[in-house]
Amino acid sequence: MTSSKPVLAISAIAPIVLLVIMVAFLLGPASSFLQFGVVLPEVSIEKIEFIENEIRATVRNTGPVDVNVVLADVNDRIQPAAIEPDTSLERFETALVRIPFDWNEGQPYEIGVTIDDGTRFAKGIDAAFPAIEPDIDLFVFLGMIGFLIGVVPIMIGLLWYPFIKKLGKNSFNFFLAFTMGLLIFLGIDAVIEAAEISENHLSSIFNGELLIATVIILSFLALYGVGKKLIQKAEFSKLSKGLAISLMIAIGIGFHNLGEGLAVGAAIALGEVALSTFLIIGFATHNTTEGLAIAAPLTSTKAKIAKMVGLGLIAGIPAIFGTWIGGFSFSPFFTLIFLAIGAGAIFQVVLSIFQYMKEKSNLLPNTSLFSGLSVGLLVMYLTSIII
Amino acid sequence: MQNTIQSAKMFYILVAIVSVSSLYFVVPSVIVAEETPRTFLTHTGLSIQTTGDVIDPIGYDGKALDFDPDKFMKEFDYGEVTVLDDGTVLREFYITSRDDQIMEVSPGVFYNVWTFNDSVPGPTIRATEGDLVRIHFTNEGSKPHSLHFHGIHKAEMDGVFENVGTGGTYTYEFYADPVGLHLYHCHVHPVEEHISHGLYGAYIVDPKEAREPAEEFVFILNGLDTDFDGENNFYAANTIPFYYQHHPIQINVNQNIRAYVVNILEFDAVNNFHLHGTLFHHYPAGNDMLTMSQGDRQILEFNYKYPGLYMFHAHNTEFSEKGWVSTFLVKENANDFDTEVEYDDII
Repeated sequence: MTSSKPVLAISAIAPIVLLVIMVAFLLGPASSFLQFGVVLPEVSIEKIEFIENEIRATVRNTGPVDVNVVLADVNDRIQPAAIEPDTSLERFETALVRIPFDWNEGQPYEIGVTIDDGTRFAKGIDAAFPAIEPDIDLFVFLGMIGFLIGVVPIMIGLLWYPFIKKLGKNSFNFFLAFTMGLLIFLGIDAVIEAAEISENHLSSIFNGELLIATVIILSFLALYGVGKKLIQKAEFSKLSKGLAISLMIAIGIGFHNLGEGLAVGAAIALGEVALSTFLIIGFATHNTTEGLAIAAPLTSTKAKIAKMVGLGLIAGIPAIFGTWIGGFSFSPFFTLIFLAIGAGAIFQVVLSIFQYMKEKSNLLPNTSLFSGLSVGLLVMYLTSIII
Repeated sequence: MQNTIQSAKMFYILVAIVSVSSLYFVVPSVIVAEETPRTFLTHTGLSIQTTGDVIDPIGYDGKALDFDPDKFMKEFDYGEVTVLDDGTVLREFYITSRDDQIMEVSPGVFYNVWTFNDSVPGPTIRATEGDLVRIHFTNEGSKPHSLHFHGIHKAEMDGVFENVGTGGTYTYEFYADPVGLHLYHCHVHPVEEHISHGLYGAYIVDPKEAREPAEEFVFILNGLDTDFDGENNFYAANTIPFYYQHHPIQINVNQNIRAYVVNILEFDAVNNFHLHGTLFHHYPAGNDMLTMSQGDRQILEFNYKYPGLYMFHAHNTEFSEKGWVSTFLVKENANDFDTEVEYDDII
């Protein structure tokens, strides 16, 4: 422990220096020695937009070698096109392929590009939909959607508060367990949704599945720290433990709704979803349960209406930001990140609720825990069918 | 207590970084510098302004391509001519196969072509009926190859059961017979692969009494499956997609044109040759092929000149390589049947 600072610095840096030397050796003198197998180029089409008399495809070189994009096609029929900034694509580089094409709304299209070795890469779109102009109307529209699927249902869910409060202790435990069920379902839902985005939109170089796992764990750990702090603070202040739990639930759900909003906004912008009233109803019904989840821990304490509304907004408003960001600039990468943060946060909240219940009653495991969990999961499943 | 505050701080910093960096995705256009765009007008009449490269094989000037369809279309290889003692004209040809060449088949698209005499299609072999055709074949490829000529010849000249290995040679010899337009191609398995990579060419047998004079063109209808998914990525008359669309073949009013059209397309069952603005006289050439639709019926009469094992099969290689392949074993027989199908009427 008495070693001097320079020695400490050297011992920290030495392995890094050696690693750099090794990488340099592998890339330089040893590179020919290590060349084996067949190197396959890969190009991913990340985004397809339909504007007037033109189809735009954003392509990314996701393979291990540089490529040239030399041909574009629509439905496997060669079309003249322009590519910006130019035909050559280094690793990870993106380019915009612009195909002058008189497309028909609502019709499916497959857009393809061919690279210099003759390999063709293509991506299909179920129905061509004019790319939305980013204007104030869209801003208001997306905001409304976010408000309808995020804020309103949570506020409605919070209205169960007086009802839950009137119930006895067993019922209170039941509703806490019910909330855990809801949250577990939401967490799993977010993971699945993130995995879907990873598969459909994210280039394989990002290692989507591993990214999801990493972010979930990081988010869980971060929220664990924040949660502990909140609960500790609650011990020294008038902030009740129930409110602390509710706040954490609201934050967790907020992240989840941000991710969900991103996905919905992107679906609207990309025209992938025929956004019907029915879909909005589905989301709203589903998300009403989120309000219930926030309300449940509060029933053991006196809660002011303003605080409850505040919690609802923390959980709901991120959906609006989500639809805005997703609608104006869809990034599968960030949608996935936020969904994963949401999942990690939610799983952490589940753990907090469990610990809270354990503290409050030593009867665990009891019937209200299991019945609550089961009913919570089932309710979520049933409301998810509507979407 | 101290720790939890620390970790909370870290979390807020993380959130701040993520929110700031997400701005890049919201407003990437601010970060990308603007250039002066130029207008790009397509053949369909649509136009766009672009600062990027134009990728347009349709409007391509074709300068840098490795293969010249204009030259190929008018080039006939009559071979090295010697007159034998009995008056027979001997035509000797030299054909080398390779399978290591990379050719720019469409602007910017580089494809590993397998070639006869460094070209896809191979040279157009041309002889007159009754000539003795001798082909000195050398395989410089890494795989076995062969030359299978359509027409009448001995079984061992059929190039089906005698694969020529790497560095090997084979001399094919037969009389130019019958009159007509035939083709040749590699017949090594898998035939679909060998043909689709480019191992084919046309073989013309002229009648002894020359045809009416005309401007003559060869059109080999072919395709290229550059990504090996069993579907052609490119189609063309003479290999280069869209070539003659932007290099019109120049002919004159009332000039007689004779087109030697061979369809060697792989993967697709049917191909077309459609002429605008006029109609053509049609001479089915080389009656060793019959294309039939379901329920069609045909009566065929034929006999073999030479003994040996001969294949008959669908020329659609998918069908033949999935089972529609058969053989005749033609035996040297004691009693001469003394029958001969007249080919004069079927050019």
